[in-house]
Parts: sequence; structure tokens; C-alpha cells
Amino acid sequence: MREDKLIADNSLNAVIFPSTAIGSANPEVKVEPVFGIRVGSVGLLVSADRFCEVLDKMQVNPIPNLHPWISGLLNLRGNLVPIYDLKLVLRETGENNKRFLFAIDKGEKAIALWIDNYPEIKDKLVMKPIRQLPKLPDIFQRFVIGGYEHSGQVWLDVKFEDLFKTLGRHQYTSEGMAI
Amino acid sequence: MKKPDLNELGNLAAYFERLADQAAQRGCYGLQDANLVLAEAVRVLQSDNPASNNLFPLVGEWFDLVEKFTQAPKQTASEMTTYLRRPELNIPMEDEEFAMLGEQLLNDANAAALSPNEASDITVARTTPSIAEQHITDEQVAYIEQLANQAAAEGLYGLQDVNLLLAETLRELSGDAIVDSGLISALSGWHDLLVDYRKEPRVKAEALINFLRHPGLKIPMGDDEFAMLQEQLTTEAEANVTAQEQVVDIQAVESIPEGDPSSDKNSLSGVSRIAQELVDLLLMQIGQIRDYLQSITIGNNESLLDSLQEVGDDLERFSNMAKTAGFGGLSQVATHVTGNVQSFQASIEGFTTERLDLLLDWTGQVQEYLPSFNDSDAGQLILVGLTDEQWPMPLPFEEMVAILQQIRAESSVVGEDPVLTRMEKATDEDISLVLPGDVNQELLEILLQELPIQTQQFSEAVQRLHAGGSEQDVQLAQRVAHTLKGSANTVGIKGIAVLTHQLEDILLACANEQKLPNRALANSLINAADCLESMSESLLGVSPPPSDAKVILQEILDWANLIDKVGLPERDDETTSPVAQERGVTESEETDSPSQLQATMIRVTSEQIEELFRFSGESIILNSQASDSMRRMKKQMHAMKVQFSLLQELGAELEQLIDLKDLTGRSFGVVDTNFDVLEMDQYNELHTASRRMAEAAIDARELSLDVTKELDRVSEILESQQRMVVDTQEVVMQTRLVAISTIAPRLQRSIRQTCRMTGKQSELTVKGDTIMIDGDVLNALVDPMMHILRNAVDHGIESPDERRAHGKPPVGQIAFEFDREGNNILVRCRDDGKGLDYEAIRAAAESRGLLQSGQDVTDEELKSLIMRPNFSSRTVSTQTSGRGVGMDVVRAQILNMGGTLNLHSVQGQGMTIELRVPLPLSMTYALLTYVGHYRVAVANKGINQIVYSKEGEVILEGNKETLLLEGVIYPVARLIDLLHIADHRKIPRPYDAILLVQNENQTTAVLLDAIFDSLEVVIKGLGRYLGKVPGYIGATILGDGTVTPVVDIPELLRAPVRVLTGDYVAPVEMADPTLNLPTVLVVDDSLSQRRALEQLLADAGYRVRSARDGIEATDILAHFKPDVVLTDLEMPRMNGIELTAHIRSHANTSSLPVIMVTSRTTQKHKKMAEDAGVNAYITKPVREEDLLTEMENLMAQQTGNVQAQNIAQLS
Repeated sequence: MREDKLIADNSLNAVIFPSTAIGSANPEVKVEPVFGIRVGSVGLLVSADRFCEVLDKMQVNPIPNLHPWISGLLNLRGNLVPIYDLKLVLRETGENNKRFLFAIDKGEKAIALWIDNYPEIKDKLVMKPIRQLPKLPDIFQRFVIGGYEHSGQVWLDVKFEDLFKTLGRHQYTSEGMAI
Repeated sequence: MKKPDLNELGNLAAYFERLADQAAQRGCYGLQDANLVLAEAVRVLQSDNPASNNLFPLVGEWFDLVEKFTQAPKQTASEMTTYLRRPELNIPMEDEEFAMLGEQLLNDANAAALSPNEASDITVARTTPSIAEQHITDEQVAYIEQLANQAAAEGLYGLQDVNLLLAETLRELSGDAIVDSGLISALSGWHDLLVDYRKEPRVKAEALINFLRHPGLKIPMGDDEFAMLQEQLTTEAEANVTAQEQVVDIQAVESIPEGDPSSDKNSLSGVSRIAQELVDLLLMQIGQIRDYLQSITIGNNESLLDSLQEVGDDLERFSNMAKTAGFGGLSQVATHVTGNVQSFQASIEGFTTERLDLLLDWTGQVQEYLPSFNDSDAGQLILVGLTDEQWPMPLPFEEMVAILQQIRAESSVVGEDPVLTRMEKATDEDISLVLPGDVNQELLEILLQELPIQTQQFSEAVQRLHAGGSEQDVQLAQRVAHTLKGSANTVGIKGIAVLTHQLEDILLACANEQKLPNRALANSLINAADCLESMSESLLGVSPPPSDAKVILQEILDWANLIDKVGLPERDDETTSPVAQERGVTESEETDSPSQLQATMIRVTSEQIEELFRFSGESIILNSQASDSMRRMKKQMHAMKVQFSLLQELGAELEQLIDLKDLTGRSFGVVDTNFDVLEMDQYNELHTASRRMAEAAIDARELSLDVTKELDRVSEILESQQRMVVDTQEVVMQTRLVAISTIAPRLQRSIRQTCRMTGKQSELTVKGDTIMIDGDVLNALVDPMMHILRNAVDHGIESPDERRAHGKPPVGQIAFEFDREGNNILVRCRDDGKGLDYEAIRAAAESRGLLQSGQDVTDEELKSLIMRPNFSSRTVSTQTSGRGVGMDVVRAQILNMGGTLNLHSVQGQGMTIELRVPLPLSMTYALLTYVGHYRVAVANKGINQIVYSKEGEVILEGNKETLLLEGVIYPVARLIDLLHIADHRKIPRPYDAILLVQNENQTTAVLLDAIFDSLEVVIKGLGRYLGKVPGYIGATILGDGTVTPVVDIPELLRAPVRVLTGDYVAPVEMADPTLNLPTVLVVDDSLSQRRALEQLLADAGYRVRSARDGIEATDILAHFKPDVVLTDLEMPRMNGIELTAHIRSHANTSSLPVIMVTSRTTQKHKKMAEDAGVNAYITKPVREEDLLTEMENLMAQQTGNVQAQNIAQLS
């Protein structure tokens, strides 16, 4: 098993397709390709069946009075796509020189999140499931449906849509109003 | 049913056998055979239907034929065989056998085996069998008694009395050796007298009486008694005539050849299927009573009392049932008998076997009466015995006559259902596809979705039947027709409802008789299926209405009527369609009516519309970007033009300088020195270069002018394009618009229901309902509007008495007014009720600790209290208010839509609730500004005026800033504060612009840093993940591709909010206000029927879940127990009966109230439902109030039962 890294041209947004390298010449050998993305120290798995792309040179448009973990909106081919900064949700403090925007799905279902490295393509079937998930903030933990260990890294299976919907729901207070 | 009494048959058949014997003795073997055949036929017929009266006239005819045969055998032989072929005799002989019998009869005649004397003997034998002996024999008496019985069976009681009187007298005389020969002779004419009487009863009654006055008979009756008897005979005259007419009618029906359902010996001839079912039901009941009576033993008075009590109760139920079924006369008689049973109970000692027999006889008579109830005189059967003095209360004669008249009147109408009377002629109205004015758009949409699928299903099933098919195809087609009929009736499309109704009846007849349609009928069904498909397409706007709809409906009607009369055609019968010949003619006469043509419509999914809308928005954004580019290019071109002008000027200047230089003699080059400079212009390279440069500069400027012109042209094109895309977007937006009037019927229904539940009276008027608004907004408004309406009736409108006491009309007035206010829809609900009771609100608030006793609060503050969760000033919760939802929830719903809610109340005069809800915007004019480091677009919504900062003066009063502008003081808000953007600047913030923003009743001055652009922007939602964020209408993509939020300042002013920026806080879900509502499970396979019920029940304040069939319902019931279940009868996979059985068989649902809502109206279906355990049976079309009342009653019963069980368990 070898790991592939997608080398993206920095001048172009790169659509990721499941690597053929992960497939076996022998059709009887089953594989379950997934994208592995990293947010701080946390590794997340995204099914390779989903449309994913790494976005570069996209303007992030901040919106006032939203949750801090929503960095703003992207204009992705005419669709407004919210950008999530999961580091803030996961309370990750590490700094990165360069972060990438990783978009999952397209059209109105699309969301984007900041990732620290280019996605890696992995085979979920060769990952070792873990029994005890690492301690995570409650809001995140609720949407983690499984964890795997591979190459010394813990990879989490997350219900992204539910997670992002919950993180997008705003709770407001009238406290401290200007008038 | 009681076992047939064979005694009577035996006598009649025996007579034929004796005739056969006599014929054989005289060598008339044909006649012998004929009589034997007839004897057997009569025996069979009467064993099948012991109460049949039809045989007696038939028998009489045969006697006449035999008599005629003795006189003219050759002529009569064929008449006799014809007689024997009559279908009512049902003689199981083939044509050849009848022919052989005819030949034998002719042989009798040819052989002259029958001498006139011998024949006379035979003839005499049927009336007075041994009369030659000059004695009255028992046989003669028995024959006359037989005639009496025959008369009684026909309801001719006068005639019965006459015969009985004669028989009794003759029996007394039968012992005498010598009888007056004149009497014997006269007796031979008795039969003829009777025949004459039957033909002309009024005239011949006297002849009968005169016969009885024969001195040889010595009947001990006075003149007045004879007169009374004659009167009775005459009274029966009219009825007798009617009876004869009915016999004729029945015979007419019976004469219809094969396939006649009325030939079914177990069914009543000439009566409807419903009447037959009613009769069956009553027969079953009376049979049970009779069985019970037969089990009674006389002796133990105590048990006898109990038994009589039981009989009395049963009879009372029977009476009620008879009354309900339309047998009013029978009901009265049963009540009379019940009274007698009570008298028996009162003096139990006198209840003897004879009196028990009275009851048994009467029940037997009822059993005889019911199968022949449509005989106008059949009622006498159940009355005749009641005058007997054995009864403690014999029926008075006058009462008997009155009841008899009633029974006669009812005999022809029992079981008739005007609704079910089949139409015969198709009219234009019957095929109309015109939608009703108040059509429910939602239900129509659903019908249009269902229609193509169901018409296709129907068509496929009918095609299969045409090719052979099976009973499953019949059932499927019938079920689809049934569903379509229900859906079309619900929506109000008569054309489909009428056609499917007739189709259903035909297919039902096929299903009931387990007979597949023959080819001709299948052809007609296929035509109907095609017609249905065309109707479906027409409603969808794909094609005009079918031109042959009327012809096809007529064809189907003809079939349905034919089936009603003679039953289904035989499978292999190649009968042509009853209207096959007509069709071609009528078809050519049909023309398309231009008025019937509808605009072509196509159906697309809402997702496609959304996509279209998005693309048009994108086009506008791209156009804006292009226009932006164009603006920049024009600016650049302008700058270029300036540069070119400069260049041109510089060129000219340079040229001038060079010229001057030359004049000074300092030439750049020597060309020819022989000329003075003034004599000849001498040009060098510099001249040339400068000139070329000047020309190039001019050319460049010219070019730039051309480019500018071209840019202007492109600019115009872009503007045109923008107008077009904006128009496109508006058109797409219009597809989402719905008239408010579409919900008016729901509002009206809701007020009716609430009035019914509260016992109040009020009227609803709706104004401005022609306004079209976004369908989603309208849907979201329905719920709060319903709550407001219910609350207005329950809390606002007083009872009629109270209103009168306050000088108001008894009927309360509630008005819903709709208006457009800018980009808002304004909804006002006014009522003329009592308004808010501030004292009650204060008291309730004090009791809840929300206010201190005596605390000084304004009415406005008290008003705001009713917006608090679960606040109620009511001390007693009514069913409506208990089911109603508080104003807090209504307000929350409106706020959630970005709207506002205001209350205006005048105590004693009424209240107005004002809802202001924003409509979705696709575009808005916006001001671009920076707030901190954010760029935002401020929508022009609510902005009355834009002023520069210098025009007004901001005054700081304490912590509050105000703006003094042209003498008016405005409260001040800063946009940066409204958006909670941190401002780290140390110097006071500058503000360049002031927006005067109208919010509800107040104008606020909103300070901005600067406005750097104003433009029209396309508004896009913030997407599925962020949803609605307070303060933002959405976001827009600007010309440079950047995304900017579009700010809604009035909303920010109205409900300023700050996002919780700390850790994620689980949202506090508002408790579902419907959780406390009673629940109902609706089970129906028709989407439109299901949705109609869902809507009705939701509007009535129920929480509704629904299932498509019994299987789905059982899945739901596994984890959800509703308060009541409403189920259709016929559904695929698991029908309503099976579902009810399932519910009853499970412990936790066994007592769950089940209401069956079906279009099946017959007692048979109802009985089946009751047997399965259905609590209530309601037929479609459903009367809303009946359904709701039934549901409430059943739920109340259920609650009572549960409470009783709890008490029982506790004790």
C-alpha cells in the first residue's frame, strides 16, 4: 500500500478524483478509497464517492456577526459556499504557514473548510478501527461515527453534513444591544 | 331464514299430479306429462321461494288452458307448450323436449282420445273433484281454503275472509248426504267469480257476496255484516289493481332473457340492491328474535320475565332498525308488538303458549312480508294477526288502516337512494373539466400528479381485460376508478368524477359476479380509459378536452343501466356496444369549443425552477460584472482620449517649434542654399517626423472615438441584456406566486369548525385576497393565521347572549385583510369581540408571579405579557383554547419569517392583530458601504431618506445619541453597533451618511461611515447550512466577484441580536406547539383524499400523521399511538377492514377508536366494517362537522373508558 499525495497546480483549483493507484489490478481485491484531510492534529476521512476539490486563490468574503468558526463565504461558480474553520471548533492552536481550502460536494450542497495539507488518498479497508475515540469538544464529538488508526495517525469518520448544519445554526442573544 | 314450509307446495303440486293421473286414465299422455312436469316445477319453485305469490296466477292460467284443451286441443297444444316454456317456471327442459311434449299433446288431440265428457271430468276435477256425487268433499273444502291462503298471500284479506267463510260453511255441509244441487252448480262457478273479481274487483265484489248469500249455504250473517265484507273487498280493489300492475312490471322484468339478475331466486325482483340488503339485514334480525322466541319455555315466570324483557329489547331495536331502513310501517307494527310484550310482562301469569305462538306467528309473518315488501299489499301480512283478541292490546282497525297505508306508500321507496339513481343521459355538464372557482390549488396539484399515473394504470388493467385478463384486473381497475372518483369529487372536476363513478359501478358488478367483461364491454371500457387519459392530458394543458367524452360517457351509462336491469352480458357474448351505431354520428357532430381550449401547460419540478432562478441570477451577476468592466473601459478610454488630445497638442506644438527654428535659419540640414527660406520651404527629417507624429496623434484620437462609440454600443447591448435577464428572473419568480384567495376556503372552514366547537356565531370576511404572493410565504402564514382565527373566536367573540347584552349583533364579525406594503405582506385580523381583558391579564400575571400585586404597569406592558410562553388569562381551558396555540408561538412563527406582530385592542370593541411579513426578494437596490473592515450592501428596504452628515446634528444625551434634523429629533443607531463589529479606532468614529430608516412606527437615524456606491443587486440566500441569519436578507455577488452580505436595517433595529461567539451553544429548541394536540392517523391510498383529510384535521387542531395503506399504517402504529384512526375501506396491500382487525388484535391498540371513511354506502359494507370492529362508519363525501363530531365523541368515550379503567385498577 502506498500513499499518494495530490500535487495541485497552485494556479488552478484542483478537482480530486479517487486515485487509480489505490485500485488493485486484481478486481477481487476490494478497496474503499477515502480522502484523508488534516485539520491541526486531527485527521478526517471523506468518502472518495463525494465530489471534492482543493481551492486556491479564492477570495474569502467575511460576514459580520456570524460564528467565529465561519470564515465567510466563497463565490464558487456562482454558489455561495460557507467556509468553516474547524480548528476553532476543535480548539487546535497550532499555526500553519499555508492552509488550503477544501470543498466537499458541489452546487448548493457544497461546503468548504480549511485544511493544513493536501488531501491524501487512502484505503479505508486497510485502516485499523479504534475502539476508543480521542477526546474531542462535545459539538464535534457528536458527529464522529468512527475512528481508524493508520501510519500513526488517527483518522475520524464524521457526518459532515450534520456537523456543518449544526455549526451553521446561529444562536443569538439580545444582550448588549446598542439600542 | 326459516325452513320452507312444504305443506302448501305439496297441495299445489299434488293437484297437478292428480290432473296428470286423470289425464292418464283417459289416455291423454301428453297432458299427463305436461301436468307432471308442471307439478315438479311448482315443487321446485316453491321450495326455493316459499313465499312466492307469483305462482297462483300462473296456476290459474294453466287450469284455464287445460279447460280450453278439452274444448279445442289442437289449438291449445302449442299454447300449453308456450306456457311451459315460461322462464318463471324455470322448467329444465331443452327445446327438443318441449317440442316432443307439444307433439304428444297434439297426438292426444289427433287420437281424439279425449272425449268432451271425459275432458269435462278433468276440468271439473280441478274445481270440485267428486262433485258428481252431490256431496261436498274435504277436497273441495281444502281447495277453497287453498284459495283463501292464496288470497292472504296476495294480501287480499277480504277475499281470504270470503273464501274461509265459504270453506267453513262447506265443511259444515260436507257431512250432509244431500246438498242443494243448485249450490253444487253454483259452486262450480266460484272459481270464475274469483277470476272476475280479480279483474274487476270493484264491480265483482258484489257477486262474491251474493254467492255467499246463497240460501243453500245458510251463512249466519246479517245484511250489515255482508255489507262490511263487501266494503272490505271493495277497499282492497285499488290495492289489488296496483298489485296486478306490479305483477305486470315484475313479469316485464322477468321476461328479459338471459343474464337477468332478478332471476336470482334469493333476491327480490324489481328492487334495488340496497333494498335487498336492508331486507336481508331485517330478516336476519327478526330471524334471531324468532329463534329466541322458540327457545322460550313457559313455566318459570322469573326466567320468562327476563326472556320477555330480552324479546322486548330486541323488538325495540328491530323497530329502530326498520325505521332507519325506511320501513316506517313495519317499525310501527314492531313498536305495537313491543307494547304487547310489555303487557305480557306486566301480567306474566297470563302469558301462555298460545300467546307465545302469537309472537311466533307474527315474526313468521314478518319473515314472509319482508321478501315481498314491494308488493303494496304485502303489509297486510304483518297486520292481520294483530287484531286477534288474544293480544293484550289488539291493533285497532283505524290504526291498522293507517299503518297499511303507510306501508303501501313506503313499498315503492324503500332502498331508493336518490343519489344512487343512475342517470341515463349524459349532458355537457357531466363531462365538464372546468375547475370550480374555489378550487383548492394544493389538492388540484396532487390530483394532477396522480391523474396520469392512475389513468395509465386503469388503461393497462382494461387493456388486459380486453385481451382476456383476470379478476385481479377487474379489481385493480375498479379500485383505480374508485380512487379517481374520490379525488375528482374532492377537487370538484365533474367530468372525471361522473365517468369514473359509472365505471366503478360496472367494474364492481363484474367483481361481485366474478364475471369478466365481454368484448363489447371491454371495448367500451377501453374507450373510457382513453377518454380518461385525454381528460387528464387536458387538465395538464397538454391537449384540448376529448371531443368524444359525451359519447363515451353515454356509452358507459348505457352499459351501467343495462347491467342494472339485466345484469352483465355473458363472457363470450359478442353483443355490440349499445351505442356502437350512434357513436360515429355523434362524433362527427362534436366540435372543439374554443372556450374549452386551455393554455398549454407543462409540469416541472420545483428544483428546476430554482435552478432556472439561480441561473437567471447568475446571468444578472455576470452582466453586472461585464457592465462594471465596461464602465472601467470607458473611463480608460476617456483617459486615453485625453492623452491622445495631449499628444496631438504636443505634436502641433512640436511642429510649430520646428517651423520657428527653421525661420531662425538654424536648419537641421542643408538641402539647397540658392533659395532664401522665404522663397522655398525647405523640409528636413524632423519636419517629416513631427508631422507624422501629429497625424498619428490625430489618427489615434479618431480611433479612440471609434472605440468609444463601439463601447457605447456594447454598453447598450449589456443594458438590454440586463433588462432581459431581470425580466427573465421576474417571470421565473412569478411561477412561485400564489393568490391569497387559495387559502380563503381553509380560513372559512376553520371559523366554522371553531364556532361549532365553542357554540359561538361569527362570520369571516376576507379582503385583498386577490394579491399574489410567494407560495412559500403563504404556506408559512397559514398556520399562524389559523391560530389567530381560532383564538379570535374562542377568546375574542362573545357568546350570542353576551353580544346581545352589549348591544352587538349576535353574530361576531372577523375580517382578514391583506395588503402589500412595500416588500411586505400585511395581514390584519380584526374582530368585534371583547378585546383584551387587561384586568384578567394582570390577575393572571400576578398569580404567576410575573407582576407584583398592585405594580404600576401600562396597558402596552400588559399586552406584551400575552406574548409570553404559555401565558393564558383563561381560568378554564376550553377544548378550542386547549387545542389552540398561544400568541407567543404565533409571534415566534412570524419573527422566524422575519416579520412583526402587533396588537391593537379596545376593550369591549374588539382586537386587531397585525402581521407584517417580508416577501422574498430577488433583487434590491442597495448602498455599498464599509462597516469596519467589512464591505456590506445595505438594502433600501425601509430607507426613507439619505442625508449627509453635515445636514443634521448628533446630540449626546446621557448615553443616548439623538439626531436633530430640520427640527425633528430622531433616535440614533450606528450600523457598526447594529452588526456588532468591533471598532478599534481611538478617535471618534466619523460618519458621512445618515439613513432615516422606518421601522414599524418609528424612524431611526442610522449612521454610516460612507456610501461608496449604489446599485441594483441580486439577492442570494445564505445557503442550506447557514439558513436565515437575523439582520441579513441574504448576500450578493458584486461585479468584481466578491460576496457581500445584504443588510436588512429595519430587522436589525427591530430585533437587534448578537451572535453568541463563545463555545457552541446547543440551540434551545422551541417546544413544538403541536405536541399537546390530539393526534390522528389518516390512512388512505389516494394522495388527494389523504391530503384533504390532513388539511381538514390540521385546520381543526389535530396533529396528523398519514399512511398510504394498511401496511404502512401498521408500521406507524408500532411506535405511534394516535388518539383516533381514520381509514379508507379499499386500499392496496392491506385494506381498512384488515387494518381494523389488526388494530383490534393488538393489546395496545385494541381499544383505539377507528373511523372508516369510505364511499361505500351499502349496509353490507357497513356491516362488514362493524364486524371488524370499526367504531364509526362515515360515507364520502365527508361532512366535516359529522366527522369532527364523531371523532370528538369517540375520543371522549375513550377518555372516559381509560378513566374508568384507572379507577377500577385503583380500587
